[in-house]
Parts: sequence; C-alpha cells; structure tokens
Amino acid sequence: MKVQAVRRPASRRALGRSLSVIAAAGAALIALAGCSLSSPSSDSGSSSSSSSGASASSITIDLANYPSTLDPGLQYDESTYSVYRNIYDQLLRRDPKTQQPEAWIATKWSNPTPTSWDFTIRSGVKFSDGSPLTADDVAFSINRMLDPKFNSPQYANFSAIKTATATSPTELTLTTATASPTLLTYLTTLSIVPKAYVQKVGDAGLNSKPIGSGPYEVESATSGSQITLKRNPDFWGTAPSIPTVVFRAVPDAASRVSDLQSGQAQLAADLTADQASQLTGGSSVQVLSAPTERVAYLALNTLGDTPTKSADIRKAISLGIDYDSIIKNLEGGYAKPVGTVLTPLSFGYPDKLASNKYDPAAAKKLVQESGVSDPQVVFPSSPSYDPQLIQAIQSDLKKIGITVTIQNSDQATYLKKVQDPKHDWGSIRFGLWSCSCLDADGVLYPLFHTGTIWASYSNPDFDAAVEDARNTLDKGRRASDYAKAIGILNDDVAGIGLYQVDAIYGASSKLSWKPDAVQSMYVDQMKLSK
Amino acid sequence: MKLFYSGTFRYIIGRLGQALLQLFGVVTIVFVVLRLTGDPAQLLVPQQATAADIARVRHQLGLDQPIWAQYLHYLAGICHFDFGYSYVQNRPALSLIMERLPYTIDLAVAALIISVVVGIPVGMISAVQRKKFLGRAAMPLVLIGQSMPAFWLGLLLILVFGVWLRLLPTSGAEGLQSLILPAVTLASLSFATVARITRSSFLEQVGAEYVKTARSHGAGMGRVLFGHVLRNASIPIVTLIGLEIASLLGGAVITETIFAWPGIGQLTVQSIDARDFPVVQAIVLFVAVVYIAANFVTDMLYSVIDPRVRITAAEG
Repeated sequence: MKVQAVRRPASRRALGRSLSVIAAAGAALIALAGCSLSSPSSDSGSSSSSSSGASASSITIDLANYPSTLDPGLQYDESTYSVYRNIYDQLLRRDPKTQQPEAWIATKWSNPTPTSWDFTIRSGVKFSDGSPLTADDVAFSINRMLDPKFNSPQYANFSAIKTATATSPTELTLTTATASPTLLTYLTTLSIVPKAYVQKVGDAGLNSKPIGSGPYEVESATSGSQITLKRNPDFWGTAPSIPTVVFRAVPDAASRVSDLQSGQAQLAADLTADQASQLTGGSSVQVLSAPTERVAYLALNTLGDTPTKSADIRKAISLGIDYDSIIKNLEGGYAKPVGTVLTPLSFGYPDKLASNKYDPAAAKKLVQESGVSDPQVVFPSSPSYDPQLIQAIQSDLKKIGITVTIQNSDQATYLKKVQDPKHDWGSIRFGLWSCSCLDADGVLYPLFHTGTIWASYSNPDFDAAVEDARNTLDKGRRASDYAKAIGILNDDVAGIGLYQVDAIYGASSKLSWKPDAVQSMYVDQMKLSK
Repeated sequence: MKLFYSGTFRYIIGRLGQALLQLFGVVTIVFVVLRLTGDPAQLLVPQQATAADIARVRHQLGLDQPIWAQYLHYLAGICHFDFGYSYVQNRPALSLIMERLPYTIDLAVAALIISVVVGIPVGMISAVQRKKFLGRAAMPLVLIGQSMPAFWLGLLLILVFGVWLRLLPTSGAEGLQSLILPAVTLASLSFATVARITRSSFLEQVGAEYVKTARSHGAGMGRVLFGHVLRNASIPIVTLIGLEIASLLGGAVITETIFAWPGIGQLTVQSIDARDFPVVQAIVLFVAVVYIAANFVTDMLYSVIDPRVRITAAEG
C-alpha cells in the first residue's frame, strides 16, 4: 500500500533512518573518492535498474517558485534558470563528471592573447522559429546583458567582457579588459537568444513567447502556476527521451513532498534533510542528492567594535563548533566537511587541506586567555537561514564561555545591515555562498577582499594573492595564490567554512537522473520509465 | 433632478471623498514604509555583485532619486492607471495582479459559499436548539474550525484526501477538483465566524416580543425563523460577510502557499520578500479599494434589509 510511505511503523522508520545514515556515510566516501553523485536513499539501485522499459510520456517537476521570467538575460535564480535552460542553449555546458566547461554551442575555443578569445560556433543549429543560430546571436545575447539600459541582474557575471563581436556566422571573438580566468565558467550560464526575433518582438515579447534552440520549447503557461514544455522537433542534439515536461510552482516544501507521494509529481526540488528522511524507505519514491559548490560559512567581523576583533576569540569560535554534529544531526548527512570557506569542487581549494577541528577544551582556554572578559557577541540572521543551525552554534559557543545573542530580521533588512560599510552589524553571521562558477575567485574575492560589500576583514597580503589570481590565466600560479590566500584567511579566522551543501531532490523511483554541482536541471539528461 | 439634491446622493458623494482620502493615505504610508525596509537592488543581483553593480541596478530602477521625486512620479503614474513595472518579473504590476485575480476570486467565492451555506444553519441550530443535543454539539464544531490553523488543516486535508485516499489533487490549480481542498481550508475560519455571529444575533431575536406575538398567532417556528427572525438578525451577519469578502479577496497567503494556488496571496508574499515595490504598492492599493467598496456596498444593503435605516448625509 502506498500509505506506508507516510505511515510507517516506528521501527521501520528507525531502520530507514539508520540505513540512510549508513548510505550517506558511504556516499560521503564515494564523493571523497572523486565521484560527484551520492544517493543516500536506501534503494538507490532502483533508479538505474528501472531505466530500461517503456518511457513515460511526460514528467511533472515541482519547483519552489514560478520562474520570474523566461528571458534568460534577466533574473538568475534556481527556479527561473531550471526552466529556461531547457528552452535555450548555453554557449558551453559542464562535463557532468569533472564539472569542467565543455563544448555545446561553441565547439572549439582558444585564447590567442590573455585578453582575447575566439570561439567556433556550431553550424546547423536552428531556433524553434526555424531561423539559424549564428555567432551574431551569441554576440547579441552577451551585448544586451552588458547594456546598462537592459539592467540585467546577471551583469556582474559577464562584466569582464569588453567586446563581443561576430567575425563570421561561425566565429565569435570576445575581448576582456584584463586576463579573465573565470570567463569560460560564466559562459556555461550564457543562454543564447535569437537576435532577429528579439529585435522584432522586443524584450517583453521574448518573455511572453520565448524562442530558443534548446531541447524543449514552450507549449503553454499559466502564470504563477505552471509551464508546460514539449520536445523541440528540430533540436540539433540527441532528442530528449521525455516528450513533455510540466514545471509547477509549489512554494511549500511539505506540499512538494505530498505531490511526490501521491504521484502528482515525479521530481521535487529544494527539499531539506528532514523531508528527505520522510521519503527514504518508501518504495515508489527516492531521494537524489549531489554535493554542490555551495558552502555554508560563518563570517566574523574583524573590523567593527566587537569581541571578534580579538584573534584569540575568533580562533576559539572556530575550535568551539561541533562541525560533525551539525553535519550529522542537523543536515542529516546531506553535507560534507570543509576546511575553509570554499568547497573542494571549486578551483583553488588546496589539495591536502584538513577539515576544521573541534576542540572545546582548547577553545575555552583561548577565551580565558584572550583578555576579553565575558565576551558577548551578536549574531544577526534572517528567515533564509535555518534557525536550528544558528541556535546550535549559539549553544556550542556558550559551552566555551561566549554568550551569543541572535538578532533576527527579514532578508532585505539583514542585507542592509551586514553590507553597511560601518561594520557595526554584530560579530558573527551565517551565510550560504554559491557563485555558479566553481572557482575560488567568485567566493574569496567578494567575501573577504578589502572594501567589498560583504567583507568585514582586511589583510593586504590576502588581497594581493586574490588579486593576482584574478588577473592571470596561469593555472599553477592561481592555485598557489589561492593556497596562500586560504592559509592567511584560516590563520586570521575571518571566515569559517561549516560544510559543503548537498542539493536534495525527491523523485519517483522510476526517474533516472544525476543531479550536478551547480543545480542545473537539464531535462534532456533525465529518463523516466512508465 | 431631485436625485441630485437628495440625501442619498450627498451621502454617496461624501463617501467617495472619504474613500479618495483613505486611498491617498494608504498609498503614501505604504510607499514610505516599503522604502525603509531594504533595498530591492541588493536582492536582485547575484551574490558576488560589487557595490558598483548594485548602484547601477538602483539607478536603472530610479531608486537613487530622492524619495519625494520617486513619490511624485508614482502618484503621477497612478493618475494614468500606470502602477509601474515589477522589478523582478519585468512586467506591468497591474497585469500581474489581473492574472492572479481570477484564482483569488474563485477561491474566495468558493470559500464564502461554504462558510455561508454551512455557517448560518449551524449558527441558527445552535441558537434555537441551544438546550438540545444538536445545539450543544454545534458550537464545539465551530470552535474546532476557528482554532485549527490553516497550515495544519491544509496539510491534514492533503494527507488524507491527496496522499492516502488519492481522491483529490494534492496541490495546483487545474479545474474544480483542485479548488475543493483549498476552499474548505480557507472556509474553516470564516465559517466559524459566520456561525458565531449568526448564533448571537439569533439569540438576541428569538426572545423578542414580535416572535412571541407571531407564535401566539399560530405561525410555525420555521416560518417565524426564516420569515421574520432571519431578516432582523441579518444586519450583523451581512456586515460580517462584507468584511469577509474583502479579506478573502485580499488573498489567502497561507492557504494559497500550501496548495500552490496562484492567487494574490502568493504574489503578495513573493513581492514583499523580493521588495518588488511596484507590485506590493499595487496589491495594497487594490486591497484597499476592495475593502472600501465592500464596506460601502454593505452600508447600502442595510437600507434594503431594514427600511428603517435611512441613508443620508449628516446634516451640517
């Protein structure tokens, strides 16, 4: 009976949980060995075994939100790009295993000088209105985002590009102001729109009736509720195996779980570890998860007038947090330990970096020796962050003699406070960081370089190292720059990496799909049996 | 011609003036308060954006102008029924509301029908039969309805009817079937309120002299209740229903979120979260208009229900 998926006897549930913990531990080992996929569900075999047999004619995917737009030059959030990346082609894609940029619409590229790049554009690609995709469309897709009037929220991802020009229908040249080592990684997020069509119907027209060259095209949409995509018959690549995709906006995570259990949806995004534990053990559903490049971290205020100005207090905080307990108990095993504010998936993460140590006795001693009597620290937070986690850190720090006051406000107010250049926001803040770039540059520079909006830290040696790494294409030099920068950062304890976040999805056990490190949702990579 | 000088006409003109003043106040307060609570530009950009990136977005949205200039620009827009563009969805705020409105109306009407059709009889029974079993059993039911929070009742209904019995869709907005669970959830609170008001207002009436008179003239209890008491007891009920309509049309945030119902409530929460000023302003203005209109219509209905009520402007 399907009822059992929810109303399992306590003993079976306990068994399910311990199985999932074991599976998660095993998955962690596999991940360490270099595999990018883990599936803590106890019936992980079912997804591959069921891929033979007849294909289902449609899949329903529950997202947390309705896409803000179907214009890929505008908003850039998970629910939005999950949909439009299936409609448009990107210039490059990532290899699902190595996460390295690989050919997609661009088949080849080279950089004759450190500041110029030549791309060969695939020929024979057609937009769903029948017009051919050329280098001019790619240049147009970049240039519209660089146009201040278009006001693209993604501007920051592409602002390294100075010019984008089509030199022939299959040749594209990009120039950058300085050498840009992260250019390719951001080009994996560049979706290509048809120039002639956009110029004819305008930006609003593209949003309401999107035309792309991707594996799917829009069939119908009910604003705020759902979007139906159908297979693009003229797609240049391998035809996707699922003919129809229905993306639904289901903001409540518990409802997404119910949709899976009732069979109304076959895939649900954005689940928590708690919800995943409800799904493991059911026979018709499975949990799919993958380590992402998102890092959960604490940033410590080293500039404002707070106890965290003292290096001893900061060191004590980093020794006083029980990282393993957070990963095991709060994140349900859907997280991995890290040794700094970066994940091992990102370029620049040092090879042999030790994970954070938990040593409450040493931490307590450091607090006593710091000369700060009865340290009181303020911890601003917002509803975007798990209150249980913040409270766990509060109680860990209480044990070593640091009193933490949590100050909650909504996200907009929180941002206003912590990004204020006066650095009087408190002492510790929690954050989740992802640059979709898999490179230390998108993490260390904006978070800790002197004078950026997030940094309450300043160290000229650190600044010099991350600046040098930003302006060279030499991989060896970049790696040693980041090793140095991370060494300084960890010595100063300006930030503490808590764990690497796993993306958690609930899925029908008939779905075969491997989620990736940047949470893209390419439906053409999915298989669903009947 | 006489109409133009009549009390009713002057009353309506007076109410219209009041309404405009109220709307002006609402618009102004919302405009100012929203701008004190955070910066939409910070929420729009990717995390790694620089201060300069944020400043550029702010400039494009016009948020770097002095607040009075933004305010005048906004007021000028309203006069032409231009409510601005959504920062997040890059579409006119008004068309976003218009897309969501049919869903909110469907849900509101369904919930209201359930609350009235169930609430009034339950209230009547508990008043008239208050010494008997049926009357005693009715009020605890009402209490349960009133004290069960929507997020809990909603999930419970989903679990029972969606996951276990698989009779109804667990979420979404496809056809009448998916309307049932959210409507019942939303109605649970307003049904209880309607029942309680009906009960107390009936209790006031059933002891009245005219009921005894009617009964002593041989009128049956049914005829007395529906022919006389209901009409006299209905002014507070109508007032309440008027207010319920307004509040239901404002969107049911929790119910819509749980059932993934694409109404105005969901749009409101998402727009507030993103500090999508034009959309929040437009929604608040819309809800204010609905409230004012519902109040006005309710007041007009009084004179229809009870001819003793005369609608005139106060003599100055």
